[in-house]
Amino acid sequence: MNATGIPLKEPEISAVAGDTEQLERAYIDASTRVPVLMFYASAMAWLILGTLLAGFVSWKLHSPDLLSDISFLTWGRVRPAHMNVMVYGWASMAGMGTAIWLMARLCRTVLRFPLLLVAGACFWNLGVLLGVGGILLGDSTGYQWLEFPGYAAIILFVAYTLVASWAVLMFRYRRGDQIYITQWYLLGAFLWFPWLYAAGQLMLFVVPVQGVLQSAVGWWYANNLLFLWFGAIALGTAYYMIPKVIGRPVYSYHLATIGFWSYALFSSWTGMQRLVDGPFPAWMITASIAATILMMIPVATVGLNHHMTMQGYFPLMRYSPTLRFTVFGAMSYTVFSIVGVLISLRSVARYVSFTQASIAYSHLGLYAFFTMVIFGSMYYIVPRLVGREWRYASLIKLHFWASAYGIGLMTLMLLASGFLQGADMQNPTLAFSESVETALPYLRGRSLAGILLTASHFIFAYHFGLMLLGLGRTSTVPTFLNPVEAEASGGH
Amino acid sequence: MKGLAPLFLGIFGTFAFSWLGLTVVPNWQIGHLNPQSDEEGTDIYPQPQSGMFERGARVYAANGCIYCHSQQVRADYAADDIERKWGERRSAPRDYIFERPVFLGKMRMGQDIANVGARAPAEQESPLPVGAATSATSPPQQGGAPVPSPAPPGASPSPPPPSAGSPALPSSPATSPPARSPNPNAPPVSPSPPAAAATPGGTTSVSSGASAGGAPWPVQTSGEPPMYSAAWHHVHLFSPRSINIDSDMPSYRFLYRARRISDAPSADALQLTGSDAPPEGWEVVPTFDAKCLVAYLMSLNQSHPLKEVRSAAPAAASPAPSPAPGK
Repeated sequence: MNATGIPLKEPEISAVAGDTEQLERAYIDASTRVPVLMFYASAMAWLILGTLLAGFVSWKLHSPDLLSDISFLTWGRVRPAHMNVMVYGWASMAGMGTAIWLMARLCRTVLRFPLLLVAGACFWNLGVLLGVGGILLGDSTGYQWLEFPGYAAIILFVAYTLVASWAVLMFRYRRGDQIYITQWYLLGAFLWFPWLYAAGQLMLFVVPVQGVLQSAVGWWYANNLLFLWFGAIALGTAYYMIPKVIGRPVYSYHLATIGFWSYALFSSWTGMQRLVDGPFPAWMITASIAATILMMIPVATVGLNHHMTMQGYFPLMRYSPTLRFTVFGAMSYTVFSIVGVLISLRSVARYVSFTQASIAYSHLGLYAFFTMVIFGSMYYIVPRLVGREWRYASLIKLHFWASAYGIGLMTLMLLASGFLQGADMQNPTLAFSESVETALPYLRGRSLAGILLTASHFIFAYHFGLMLLGLGRTSTVPTFLNPVEAEASGGH
Repeated sequence: MKGLAPLFLGIFGTFAFSWLGLTVVPNWQIGHLNPQSDEEGTDIYPQPQSGMFERGARVYAANGCIYCHSQQVRADYAADDIERKWGERRSAPRDYIFERPVFLGKMRMGQDIANVGARAPAEQESPLPVGAATSATSPPQQGGAPVPSPAPPGASPSPPPPSAGSPALPSSPATSPPARSPNPNAPPVSPSPPAAAATPGGTTSVSSGASAGGAPWPVQTSGEPPMYSAAWHHVHLFSPRSINIDSDMPSYRFLYRARRISDAPSADALQLTGSDAPPEGWEVVPTFDAKCLVAYLMSLNQSHPLKEVRSAAPAAASPAPSPAPGK
C-alpha cells in the first residue's frame, strides 16, 4: 500500500530509503491503532448524539412549543448540551485522535505508553457523559462554554493530564532533530489547553473574579479554546496532510514560522470583541478587535503557504478525499477569520453582537474549518489503522457535499438572520418581537441546512462503522473519489 | 525550527502574555469595586442578594435563560437599548459586583432583561430596588407549599387602591378576590391578585415599561395580570403566547404543577385564561423553583443611578463626565 495517496511518490525520499521508511511507518501506524481508534470511535458517537441534539435545538428555536413540557428537553438545556457534546465530545476527541497519530508519526517512533491514552479516553468520555447529563438535569454552571458542573470538569482535567503527559513523553522519545511545523502546533495545543482550562476553572469557580470579569474570563477562555486548541490542531493537521497527499514539501518554512508565532501571539488576544459595548473598560475590547484584525497576518501567511504548496496540484482534489476535505477546511479558515474581523468592527458589531451572527462565526470555526480538516485526516488515518480502504467512494462524495453545502447554507442563513435581526433591533420604532420574526425564516432555513449535516454525519458514521468492523476494501490503492484516469493527473 | 527551548518558551510566553493582559490586568482595574453609597453611608447600591434570589439565579442558569436574554444595556451612543426602554442608563461594571454567575448574555432572541424588575407595577416595585435582600430572606419559605403565611411586617405594600377587582379584569377561575388573600408571600414573589395596577380602562398603569403605549413595546393585554408583576411573570413563563402571540419563548410548564383545589383556591394559583386554563376544580400553582425564578427576575433592576454613568433621566444623578471604566 502506498502511504502517500495519489502521486505515488514521497517527498525527498529515494526509492530504496522509501521502502524501509514505509515499513517503519506501517509499524508506527499499527502501534497507534487501539488508542487512536478509541478516540475516533468515541468522537463519532458524540458526533451523532450532538447532531441529534443540534437538530432538536434548531427546530425548537422556531417552534418553541415542541416538547417544552419536559424539563430536560427545554431549549435552554438542550442548547448547551449540544454545544458541549460537540466541543468536548466530538471536536476534542477527534482532534486528540488525529493529534496522537500525527505525534507518533512525526516523532518517528512507535507509540509508547498506550495505557495512558486508553485511560485518558475512558476518563474523557466519562467526563463528557457526566457533564452533559448534569446540564440536562439542570446542573449547568451558567458560564458559556464552561457549563459542565465541577465534578465533570475535574474528570475532564484528569483525562486531559493523561493525554498531555503522554504527548510530552512521546516528544522526548522522538527521533531526528527536525521538528516539523505540525509538531509546533500540536505541542502548542497540548500545552495551551491545560493552562487555559485550569485558568478558566480557577478564575470562575475556585477563586472567582468579580462581576463582569467573569464574562471576560469566559470569553477569553472560549476564544482561546477555539484558536489555541482547535485551531492549532487543525492547522497542524493541514500542514501535514496537504504536503503529504500531494507529495511535495511545504512551500516555505519561513512563512510557516511567521505564521505560527503571529498566530500564537494574536489569536490569544482575541475574545473580548464579543463583549463590544458591554460594561467593560473600552481598552479590553479595542485590544481584542485589534488582535482580530492582526490575525490577518497569520491567516495570510498560512493561506499563502498552503496555496503555494498546492499550486499546480489543485486538480488532485478531484481524487483524494483527504485533500478535498483538508483544503476545504483550510480555505474556511480564511473565511472564518475574515468574518471574524467583519463582525468585530465596532460599527458592525453594534448591529450583530446580540444575534445569530456569532453562532455563524462559531460554526465557521468549529465546523467549516476544524471539523472539515479533521474529517480529512480521518479519511487518511483510519485506513492505515484498520488495514482496509474506505469501501464506497460514493459515500465519501455524499459526505463531502452534504457537509459542504450544509455548513455553507447554515453559515449564510445565520449571518443573514443576524444582520437583518440586528438592523431591526437597532430600529426602535419596530417592536422587539418583529426583529425576532425577521430572523425566523432564516432559522427555518438553518434547520434545513441541519438536515443536510445530519445526513452527512450519518453517512460518515455508517462508513466509519464498516471500517471498524473490518468491512472495508482490501486493496493496495486508496479509495479515490473519482477513478484516476491513468496519467492524466500525474503530469502537471 | 531549532532547539526546543525557544519553542517551549514561546508557547508559554504568548499564553502568559494574553492571560496577564486580558484577565489579570482587568482584574486590577475593575476587579475590586465596592458598592456605591452616599455621604451618610446609606442608599447603598448594589447590595448582595441571597435566599430566593440566589436560588432563582440558579434556576435561571440551569434552564439556559442566558442563551436568549441578555442583561446589559448599551450606551445611547452605541445602540438603541435605552430608546427601547430596556434601561435608563447604560450598565456599568459596578452593577454586577455581587452577581455570580454573571448573566451578561450574548444573544437577544428575547428582550434584554437587565431592568425587568424595575418595570414591575409600583406597588411591587417599592420594596425591591435596594432593600430587597433583607426583606426577601426574612420569611423562611417552605418548599413550595402554598400555605398562606402572614405578610412580613413592614414589607407589605399598602393595601391596593379601590380599583382592586375592577371589572376590567374578568376574573378567570383561578383568580381569587384580593380580600381572601392578603399577600401570602414574601413581597417580591407576591402573586398579586389582580389588584392595584389595573385601572378601569384595563390598559397601562405600569410604571416605566409600557408608558408610551405605542407598538414598539409590549402593552398590557386586558384580562392578564398587570405587566411585569409577579403574577404576570408566572403566566408568561407558563404560557408565553397567551401574553404575546408573537413570542418565541418556550413554555416552562415543568416549573408549575396542576393540582385539584382542596378547599379554597390557592392564592398562588396562576391566572390563566382560554385554552391554558385548568379544568374546573383544578388550579396551576408554581413550584418553589418558579417562585424563586420570578423573585430573581423581579430583583433585576439597574435603575439606581451610578456616579460613573450618565443616566438618561435628567432627574437622576449629576451628569458628571464619567472617569470610569467602560467609557
